[in-house]
Amino acid sequence: MGVFEPLQIFFINIGGMLISPTIMLLLFSSVIMGIVFGATPGLTATLGVALLTTLTYSMDTSTAMVALMGIYVGGVYGGSYTAILVNIPGTAASAATALDGYPLACKGQAGRALGLTTTSSAIGTFIGMMFVVMLSPVISAMALQFTSFEFFLLALFGIVISGTLTSQDLVYKGWIAGFLGLFLATIGRDKLQFYPRFTFGMSELEGGLDLVPVLIGAFGIPQIMSTIRDNFKIGKTKKFDKIIPDFKTIAHNTPAIIRSSLIGVGIGSVPGIGEDIAGWVSYGAAKKASKHPEEFGNGSVEAVISTETANNSCIGGAMIPLLTLGVPGSPPAAMLLGALLLHGIQPGPMLMIDHPTFILDITAILLLASLTMWVCGILLAKQVIKVLKIPTSLFMPVIAVLCVIGSYALGIRIFNLYLMLPIGIIAYFLSEMKYPIAPLIIGVSLGDMCDQNLRRAQMVSQGSFLPVITRPVSLILFILILLLIAGQIPVFQKLQKRIGNRINLILKKKSPKTPEDMKD
Amino acid sequence: MEEQKLRQYDFLTAAFLILFGIWELFETFKMPMTDSYGGVETVWYVSPALFPLFIGAALILLGFILLRNSIKTGGAADFIHAMKSIGKSRISNKSVRVLTVLLALVSFVYILIPYIDFFMSITLFLFFLCTAFYPDHDEFRKRFVKHYLVGIGIILILLITGLSGVLNSILKYNMDILSLIFLIYLNIVARKMAKGFEIPKKLIRQVTIISLVVPLILCPLFRYFLLVPLPVEGGIIKLMNLVYYTIR
Repeated sequence: MGVFEPLQIFFINIGGMLISPTIMLLLFSSVIMGIVFGATPGLTATLGVALLTTLTYSMDTSTAMVALMGIYVGGVYGGSYTAILVNIPGTAASAATALDGYPLACKGQAGRALGLTTTSSAIGTFIGMMFVVMLSPVISAMALQFTSFEFFLLALFGIVISGTLTSQDLVYKGWIAGFLGLFLATIGRDKLQFYPRFTFGMSELEGGLDLVPVLIGAFGIPQIMSTIRDNFKIGKTKKFDKIIPDFKTIAHNTPAIIRSSLIGVGIGSVPGIGEDIAGWVSYGAAKKASKHPEEFGNGSVEAVISTETANNSCIGGAMIPLLTLGVPGSPPAAMLLGALLLHGIQPGPMLMIDHPTFILDITAILLLASLTMWVCGILLAKQVIKVLKIPTSLFMPVIAVLCVIGSYALGIRIFNLYLMLPIGIIAYFLSEMKYPIAPLIIGVSLGDMCDQNLRRAQMVSQGSFLPVITRPVSLILFILILLLIAGQIPVFQKLQKRIGNRINLILKKKSPKTPEDMKD
Repeated sequence: MEEQKLRQYDFLTAAFLILFGIWELFETFKMPMTDSYGGVETVWYVSPALFPLFIGAALILLGFILLRNSIKTGGAADFIHAMKSIGKSRISNKSVRVLTVLLALVSFVYILIPYIDFFMSITLFLFFLCTAFYPDHDEFRKRFVKHYLVGIGIILILLITGLSGVLNSILKYNMDILSLIFLIYLNIVARKMAKGFEIPKKLIRQVTIISLVVPLILCPLFRYFLLVPLPVEGGIIKLMNLVYYTIR
């Protein structure tokens, strides 16, 4: 492909979508659905993507991707509605937004805050898309040099880092969840020798667990159970007249937008870590860099812009490892992986060769989705808020029915339901005991990759683990995994602290003395 | 969940993880390591057991770390103490609510969907779950659940004993008719109970509308537009088919 050919394809794709009323209708409806899902506490972008996967099964791949990317983008943005208007984040991704969004609403600036989040979310998605365009070909080309050792370690790294960063309690609870996910992935006949593993003689288990029903169970059922259990009621929302896209403030906060986008893309591209962490990290970075850190928590515009830019740019970031390496960057991306596999697309380094224009298709969809999100956000916010008035005790049972029918419809197998429910119930109890669910999902998604590549690698090296050290990328991944694990061992933590202190001392000695030091 | 409770549960999950890991390894050792399987000579490093071995070992190790932490923080001792007084403690309201949701989901997936008309299954599930939680009244829920339990118990007995087959041989849709009678019974019970507890009638009416409208949208959507054959196409779905193909 020449230099201008990708650009040409990109614009042709956008043009094609713009002139197709069906595609545009699908995009608008999926973005709105995503906003509703994101805004409703208890529902997430991940569940939205999971449920929509069922409905897109009969569509062609690119049309299905329009719907799925639309709901993903809308879902991540939608969380900011309740975060600003009720001080309850619709999704974990907008938890950081609530800290300053709600105080802004209390000051009577709800419309302005929503306008800022809408515009910064659209900018974030757009910047994320730019990174998909720029980095995907480079990473794909690099990944073509990867051997089974690298892929095995990459998958393992994804599970370990996802477990480390998403755990709210003990770090190794995240790892346990990841390994349980890996175990689920081993059920069925193995792909190399077709030996039945953990099938208990059941023919339904021989083909392995269907990814999407497992993911619907693991993500949907706990959310449904906990929301109905708590009979969650949304309080009175703060009133606002109209949403104001305050471009002047946005322009004034350009450095914050750039910084947050980079954070979002960076965190998104780390396997298994989602938009919520991007939001918090960006919030912290913005507070540190701000000239007025005292305003944070009291309605800082900069904070709201930073968190929303980061969580939406994370979408592009999460798509990069998904498309180039086959490793999902976030839980919704894990759902997208399931959807892509259902449509016969195998993400990974070969994607650029098997489907040369696919990444350009995705970027075109991302661009249109961000614009659609902006338009819907500015024009339809009031209507979306009305949906939130439906009591969760009526809404959630309907979502449960959708989860059930969705799991069944994908393989037209009742057995999927028999599996989905126990997995969901186990996931509920695990999440109650503060085991993160994201590593479990990443484990299920990457189990096959881990298993096959470990054994292929061993086959090539005749049972030797030496290439882990002799191959540079393998070595880097191996060291990273070791560091992540060692970081949780008390002896290493002490050592790390001691080394840190030593470095600080050396730096202090080298730096010029302050007046206080002179006095001493 | 507070820290102390978490450490207590950690003790339980650690024990479960270790046992699970041991079971997994036990199953894994049954897999071919160096023998021939399906005419293919295998070696340990390409054996299908290699990866499960790794997972099992990791789970046992992590289980022991969790157990150690639980013992160190006093979670294990608290757990044993809590176990001793388990008979004295009452089930919390939160647990009752969770059990109600579980009852609805389990009966929906394992009893209703595989044997009863899909439309009726969804309607029964939605009516039960929404009625149990929408009025947000604990005593009402408790009594309503008892009625549901009796009804679903009767359906379960009919299915287990094979009487459902006998009933269906008399008239093809007898089980569907029975579930329809069950739904009507639940509706009457809910209305009567709502009156007793001074719950507005409007709430039960709204629940009834939702439990009928949702399957009325979903069933045709999946059956006729996405062309998904529904799990059990009983009397009502057959009636829908008749209407749909007559109109078409």
